[in-house]
Amino acid sequence: MDYLALIAYGILNMLFVLLISPLFISLIKIVKAHAQKRKGPPLLQTYRNLAKLLKKETVYSSNSSWIMRATPLVNVAAILVASLFVPMIIIPQPTDLVGNIILFLYLLAMAKFFMALSGLDAGSTFGGMGSSREMAISALIEPVVIVVFAAMAFAFKTINLPDMFRDALASNVLIDPVIILISISLFIIIIVESARVPVDNPETHLELTMIHEAMILEQSGKNLAMMELSSAMKQLLLMGVLINILVPWGLTADFTPQAILISLGAFLLKAVILAVIIGLFESSCAKSRLFRLPGLFAIALFLAIITLIIEVFA
Amino acid sequence: MIIAPVENVAQILIVLILATAAVIIMKRDIRSLIKTYAFQSLLLAVMALLLFSATGSLTLLYLAIIIIVSKVLIIPRFMGIVAKRLNIKRDVKFHFLSPTTSLLASIVIILFVYLSFSSLLSELNRFNSSIFFLGATVGMSIVFMGMIVIFTRKQTITNIVGYLTMENGVVLFSLFLTELPLLIEVLIIVDLIMLTLIATILAFGIDSTIEEFHNRLNPFISPPKETPQKQSEDDEQ
Repeated sequence: MDYLALIAYGILNMLFVLLISPLFISLIKIVKAHAQKRKGPPLLQTYRNLAKLLKKETVYSSNSSWIMRATPLVNVAAILVASLFVPMIIIPQPTDLVGNIILFLYLLAMAKFFMALSGLDAGSTFGGMGSSREMAISALIEPVVIVVFAAMAFAFKTINLPDMFRDALASNVLIDPVIILISISLFIIIIVESARVPVDNPETHLELTMIHEAMILEQSGKNLAMMELSSAMKQLLLMGVLINILVPWGLTADFTPQAILISLGAFLLKAVILAVIIGLFESSCAKSRLFRLPGLFAIALFLAIITLIIEVFA
Repeated sequence: MIIAPVENVAQILIVLILATAAVIIMKRDIRSLIKTYAFQSLLLAVMALLLFSATGSLTLLYLAIIIIVSKVLIIPRFMGIVAKRLNIKRDVKFHFLSPTTSLLASIVIILFVYLSFSSLLSELNRFNSSIFFLGATVGMSIVFMGMIVIFTRKQTITNIVGYLTMENGVVLFSLFLTELPLLIEVLIIVDLIMLTLIATILAFGIDSTIEEFHNRLNPFISPPKETPQKQSEDDEQ
């Protein structure tokens, strides 16, 4: 019975992440377009793009190896497994099976690693450039991510993500001040990890600024669809972590249809607001130089270490 | 004395004030520096109002009003005028530490302040609530962070923002640890207004750094060097 509920949770959560994540890609694009007085794409455009790409045939470079073929699958699989760790609408029963944040981070890192390898694989100059930039940025942001998640673990006294959400839901104070610090850090991490403007420019192709787009330049057809889907899912996962820690209201722990519906509505509302904030943030700043980026990461690191100081010494 | 929801909001405000101080250390764009300073002062005023609603001491109400009038409205306006007159948009020159390094240095400072406060003042009865401890620590840390801004930035206008940040730290510290008499607070704020006023008047003079301003003030003491090329031209004539 217990396992049945857990399996049901897993399937529901995975399907939710899989189906909803492209929505927020388009939503952020619409917000950015409106900020520039353009109309922007329709809300379902990302789904249409994915459907179109899925119909197309996949072309491989004659220089490429099995890495090129495996990367999209590894990416989608790793992110889907990671999606089990972040309860979006239902918190599962306490269990040791899912939710370890260290494993969560390593799953994301594995997806990123394979993406960088596939950028190098075909031997094109753009792919290699994108990979080397991505790895340089990863080397800088990864310690920050670890410290932020360690601060979260200290704040909630657990390294299990669903347990953290349960604690956040059960806490009786309005907002724990420490959570605000962590949330600002997490916001910066979302910006960096989903390749958004001060770090990377998701709009451009064949520009010298691009990082993420350069790595997936060699992918085509179904594989490209999988890469784009996995980056959309990764963004939604990180957004889910931020939302469910900062404003967990509406999140439910029981399986009644009514509670699930309320929780679903609440999550969508909060995610839409967060997506609008991300879009406005992206519109309000310019792409910064590569050597200026450590400044952005340093703010996240600063706030996370302050959290650690408060949690450890107070 | 202070009930729980008020305490929670006060903690949130303290944390946000600390975050704005970090932003002031990092920012290079002068207009957004000034905006961040105004926002920090606004948070401080909200904090004073919150403490007023909790304790009912009228001094805090007056303090909040003074902060809003002077530090949220007048001083940022003056600084905006100065920035426009100087025609500087950003401050990209640093003395000893880069912004990233100074942010890391301020982590060490906060830790140091935290540890020294917890060992020195833990016997005082004011610390029966953790909020006073947090407020005093953050206030003192912001004083030091303002000092970092003053000695790492080269441009005078950023130094002034650093000085103003230091003063905000003093106010936060005094809100939580020792209540300064209102008279002293008023005098400090008048001081600040005079400082920004003088900066406005001197705006024509201060081009970029103190050193250049010094040369400009004393053209007879250190006359501008004539280039050897010009001398040779004179010789030919």
